[in-house]
Amino acid sequence: MDVSCWDGTLSLNEFSRAARTFAEKWKIGNSAFPPWLWVNVPKRPFVASQQVDGFLSLENICLIRPSKVCGAEVSHLEEEETGFSEKEVAIDDATLVLSNHHEMHYYDFHIVYSASYRVPVLYFRGYYSDGCPLQLNEIEKDLPACSAKVLLESKWTFITQEEHPYLNRPWYKLHPCGTSEWMKLLFLGEAALAEKRVAIELYLVSWFSVVGQVIGLRIPIEMMNDRTN
Amino acid sequence: MAKQERSGGSILQFSPFQSFVDEGFWHRLSSLKLNKFGIDDSPIAITGFYAPCSHSQVSNHLTLLSESLPCDESEQSSVPAISLGNRNRCSVPGILYNTNTLEAYHALDKKSLLKEEAKKIWEDIHTGKAVEDSAVLLRFLLISFADLKKWSFHYWFAFPALVFDPPVTVVELKPASQWFTSEEADSVSVACNGWRNSSLTAGVPFFLVCIASNSHATIRHLKDWEACQGDGRKQVLFGFYDPCHLPNNPGWPLRNFLALICSRWNLKTVHFLCYRENRGFADLGVSLVGEAVITIPQGWRDLQCVPNAVGWELNKGRHISRVINLAKSMDPAMLAISAADLNLKLMRWRAWPSLNLDELSSTKCLLLGAGTLGCQVARMLMAWGVRKITLLDNGRVAMSNPLRQSLYTLDNCLNGGDFKAMAAVKSLKQIFPAVEAEGVVMAIPMPGHPVSSQEEESVLEDCRRLHELVESHDAVFLLTDTRESRWLPALLCANANKITITAALGFDSFLVMRHGSGPLNSSNDVKAESEIALSGDMDSLALADSGGERLGCYFCNDVVAPTDSTANRTLDQQCTVTRPGLAPIASSLAAELFVDILHHPNGIFAGVIADSTNSGGGDQPLGILPHQIRGSLHQFSQMTLVGHASESCTACSSTVITEYRKKGKEFLLPAINHPTYLEDLTGLTELMKSASSFKLDCNNETDDDDDDDDDYVEL
Repeated sequence: MDVSCWDGTLSLNEFSRAARTFAEKWKIGNSAFPPWLWVNVPKRPFVASQQVDGFLSLENICLIRPSKVCGAEVSHLEEEETGFSEKEVAIDDATLVLSNHHEMHYYDFHIVYSASYRVPVLYFRGYYSDGCPLQLNEIEKDLPACSAKVLLESKWTFITQEEHPYLNRPWYKLHPCGTSEWMKLLFLGEAALAEKRVAIELYLVSWFSVVGQVIGLRIPIEMMNDRTN
Repeated sequence: MAKQERSGGSILQFSPFQSFVDEGFWHRLSSLKLNKFGIDDSPIAITGFYAPCSHSQVSNHLTLLSESLPCDESEQSSVPAISLGNRNRCSVPGILYNTNTLEAYHALDKKSLLKEEAKKIWEDIHTGKAVEDSAVLLRFLLISFADLKKWSFHYWFAFPALVFDPPVTVVELKPASQWFTSEEADSVSVACNGWRNSSLTAGVPFFLVCIASNSHATIRHLKDWEACQGDGRKQVLFGFYDPCHLPNNPGWPLRNFLALICSRWNLKTVHFLCYRENRGFADLGVSLVGEAVITIPQGWRDLQCVPNAVGWELNKGRHISRVINLAKSMDPAMLAISAADLNLKLMRWRAWPSLNLDELSSTKCLLLGAGTLGCQVARMLMAWGVRKITLLDNGRVAMSNPLRQSLYTLDNCLNGGDFKAMAAVKSLKQIFPAVEAEGVVMAIPMPGHPVSSQEEESVLEDCRRLHELVESHDAVFLLTDTRESRWLPALLCANANKITITAALGFDSFLVMRHGSGPLNSSNDVKAESEIALSGDMDSLALADSGGERLGCYFCNDVVAPTDSTANRTLDQQCTVTRPGLAPIASSLAAELFVDILHHPNGIFAGVIADSTNSGGGDQPLGILPHQIRGSLHQFSQMTLVGHASESCTACSSTVITEYRKKGKEFLLPAINHPTYLEDLTGLTELMKSASSFKLDCNNETDDDDDDDDDYVEL
C-alpha cells in the first residue's frame, strides 16, 4: 500500500499479524524482558464477528523503588491497631524477619486493538507488591524523565483512565486519538529512506518505538532496523 | 541472618511467604458477597497460586486472582484468563473466612483458626495425602472483611508452618552450582526444565532429585521415594519450588516439607534443593542446596499430637491486619467522576487549550426556576463540569411536566407532586453523584402582587433570603415563567454585580441574554475595574457611572432596544404553550454563553467583541460574546443584538439600586405593593400597564395546573 494514501490505521486482521511480528522480534531483540503473550478474547454471544479477537500482554514487570529512609513512611495501606495479644507467639526463631523493605512496583501492559480508532492502544496499570493499585500520580513518578516531557508537549500523547475493554476494570491508557496521525508521519519518514510501501506487519514495532518511550520500555535498535524479516 | 545456637549448625531460618492479592480477587469477592453469599459467612475454599522465584532481587508471592474464588457454572466467563498453563501458576489450596462485620473480623480466634489449618496439614502428612498431592503442604488461611460501602477490604493471611522444637539447623547452604559437579549441574538443569515444561508435572511443587553415580539426574515424584533407595543412587535431594530469592535463606515451603520428610521417612539429615529460575529456565546459580539436621521432636509419630504452628503474615514487620481501599476503581460514583473529568480534559486537549476546568467546577450557579429552562440549563451546566448548582422553585411537578422538563419522571408527579426544586436536585444526583446540588422551595416576591400586612414579614424574609442566595453564588440564571418574577432577582444581581443570564420563551421565539454589570461599585469588583481602566480597553469600559456604556439588563431592553420591534413580535399573553424545541435551544445557548463569559478576561464587564483579535490575550475560539441572542423557529433564524443600560431601568439603574441599598424594606414593600412606585421612582409607565394583566398569570401559577409547565413570557 502506498504511504501517501494511507491514513495511518490498520484493520483487526492486520493488527493480529503485526502483533505476531512484534512479539517475535521482541523475544529476539529484548531478552532481558519476558515475552509478550497473545491472549485470546472469548467470543461474546451477541457479537457476530468471525475474526479472532485478542490482545498482547506483558505482565508483572517489576520496578524496584529505593526504600524510604525516613521513619514516617506513608503507607498505602491503612493500618489497624488490633493484632495479636502479647501472649500469643506469632513468629518463631526459624522465621526470618527482614528489616529492610524495598518498595516494589509492578506493571502490567496490554496492547489492545481499538475498533473505533482502528489503531492499537496501550493499556497499563501499576500495583504494589501486595496487589494494591497505584494511582496515576504514583505511576508518573515511575515514568522516565523524558516521558513527562513527551506527555506535556505533545498534544497527541496523554494518559487517561478508562475501563479496560475486556477486564471491566479501570486501567490507564495512552489515548489513541492522535495515533493514526503520527503513525502516518512516522511511516512517511521511513518511506523516504526505503520503499514507498507500508509494511503493515511492522506497524506495532514502529508504534511501540514511540509509545514505549512514554512508559520507559525502550525498543532495542535491532528490532527497528531489521526490516528484512 | 542465622542464629548461632549449638555447634553443628545454626538455626535454619526460612523466609516467610508474601501475599499478593490482585484487584480482581476483591472485585469477584464483592460480587459473590452481594449476589451469592449474602450474609452467609461459612468458610470458602479458595486457590492460591505461586511459582518458583524468577528474579534475583525479588521474591515471588502467593497470589490470589479472581480465579482463586470458586467458579459458578452459571456465570458466563467473559473475562479471558491469561493462561500460562500451570507453569507459573502452581495451585495451592486455601480457605477464606470472610466476616459480615468489622467486629466479627477482629473477634475471629486467629490462634485456633491457624491450629485448625495446621491440623489439616498434619493429617495429610500422616495419611500420606501429602505425598500424593504435595501442594497440600502449602495450605493457607485468609481472613477478611469486605466493606462494600466504603470499598475497603481488611485482610490477613496465614501460611501455617509446623514448628520444630528444637529447631532445624543448617550445616551447609550454598548455590546449587557450587554443590554439584558441572556434569551433575547440567543434568539437574535439564531434568528440572523437563519437569517444568511438562504439563503433567509443572504444577507439582515438591519432588525428588535423584543423581546416579554417572552424574545423571532424574526428577521423581515424592511417592517414588522407596523406589529411589539403593540402586547405586549417589544422592537424593528433596527439591521444591522456592519463591524466595535470598542467597542465604530458603523459602517457607521447606518448613512443612521437612516436617513431611522426617515424619514419613524418619530422616535426620536432609539434603534439599531450593529450585529457582531465571527467564523460564532453571538457574543453579540462584538455586540453593543445603543440608539440614533435624531432631525429630517427641510425639511426632503420634497423629493426635499436633505440633504448634506459626505463620500469620507480618505487615511491614508488625502483627497487624492489612486494609486496602479500592474506592477509586470500584466505587461507581468515583468512576463517574473520572469519566466526566476525562471528557472535559479531552475537550481541552484537543480543541480549547485555555478551557478553565477549575473555574467551571468551582463556580456556584443559582438557577431561579426549575421548569423547562431550569432543568435543561442544569443538565448543560453539569455537562460543562459545573458542580455547584442551586435550584429555586416553589412549584410542584405536574403531570404534564416530565415531557418537557427533563429532570422529572412520572414518579415525581404522584401524590400531589414532589416539590420541583427537591425533585430536580435528586435527579441531578442520579445523573452525576458528585454534583453538589441544593434545592430551595420558595416563591419570588413580585411587583404588582400586593401583600397583606400579615404576609409582609414572610415576604420580606423571602426577599432577604433571595438577597443572600444571590450574594453567595457566582452566577445567576433567571429562568422563571413570568416577567415580574425576574424583577427582584435582576435588581439583586445588579446590586451584587453577579454574572446574570436570562432566558425567556415566546411561542416560537426566544431570548437569551447576559445582563451588564451593576451601576455601582461593589467591593469585589474594585480590582477588576481598575485593571480595565489601566488597560485602556475602550470596548470594555462598561462601567461608567453615567451608565451610558453599561450593557443592559432584561428590563432595560424594553425601553431602549429600538431594533427589537421587527423581530420581537408582541406575543399573545394568553397563550401558554411554546414549541417544545425552544426550551432546549434557549437553555443550551444560555449555558454556552455563560461558559464564554467565564473565560472572558473581563467577565461581567466584557463588552461585545465583534472579532476575535480584540480578546485581551486568551484563546476565544468562539469569537464574539454577544449581549442578547434572539431566535425564532418561525424562520429558523437567530440574531445577536446589543442593548445598553437604561438610566430609567426599574431593575438596574443607579437610582433604583441606591434606593434599595439605602432603604431596604422601605423600598421593597412599596415596590411590591404599589404599582406606580417604581414608575414614579424611575419615570416609567410600562410596568404599570403589564402589572394589571399579570394578575391573571398569578392565579395560574399558584394553582399548579397544566398551564404552568411552559416558561412563556412576553419578550
